[in-house]
Amino acid sequence: MQIGKINLNRSASTEHTSSPKKTTQNKLATNPFGVSFKGNVIQADVFESGKKSSNSIAEKGKLFASAVVSGINNFNESFRARINSVVSFGKKVASNVFDSIEKIGSTEISFDGIKNRLFPDREYSVKNLSNKSVDELKTMWTNLTPQTA
Amino acid sequence: MENNQKIKNIIMALGEHQDSKAAIDLLTEFGTNSPDDEIRELTAQTLIKKNTHDSLRVVLISKGKGINDLSARVAMASINELLSLKDKSEAIKILDDTIKMHSEEEVRNTARSVRALMTFTS
Repeated sequence: MQIGKINLNRSASTEHTSSPKKTTQNKLATNPFGVSFKGNVIQADVFESGKKSSNSIAEKGKLFASAVVSGINNFNESFRARINSVVSFGKKVASNVFDSIEKIGSTEISFDGIKNRLFPDREYSVKNLSNKSVDELKTMWTNLTPQTA
Repeated sequence: MENNQKIKNIIMALGEHQDSKAAIDLLTEFGTNSPDDEIRELTAQTLIKKNTHDSLRVVLISKGKGINDLSARVAMASINELLSLKDKSEAIKILDDTIKMHSEEEVRNTARSVRALMTFTS
């Protein structure tokens, strides 16, 4: 008995609700999704989260900022590395040059002829000339003066 | 190094040379008779810096040399060097003698002008 009643109730309820269901289905006939949800059309977009609109921009901004910062850090590191390599190269060159100059400065050449040939201007330095006799200076001056016929 | 610079170095070396008399003789013979103004100028300055009777006589009383040089540049450089001497006594003594006794009027006039300048600046 109870089962019959239930069945009757069910049929009644179906009869009672059948008319508005049909109308909504007709109204939303153009929407293919309206049929699959048994008449309850979901108005909101279920494929989109609600948070997306406001937070995603900020998060994107953060991501972009972090990418920029890391990029700058990488650039700084690479720049420093290059500068350091250039500076070390310069120091090495400078030390080599300094060593060479030191060696040249400390090298004693005993023969005046060789010395004068290697350093032709050194012969005419004031310091070197001061050690020569006046007669020698006179000869040197005469040799430097163009002879007039 | 150019020849002119080498000669300049020789002149500077002669200015510091221990054999002062021989150095002055060489500077007088070669330097003051050089055709190059720069060489004559440096020679006159070197002789004045020596500040001895013999070196000053060359540039003060010789016609065409030192303060009597035909080149205004050489003459002015010589006068400037004289004015910058710390001890001007020997130079003033020679100038006074030149004003009184020199045979050339032009040399006497130049000596008088330089003497007046030295009086005002000392």
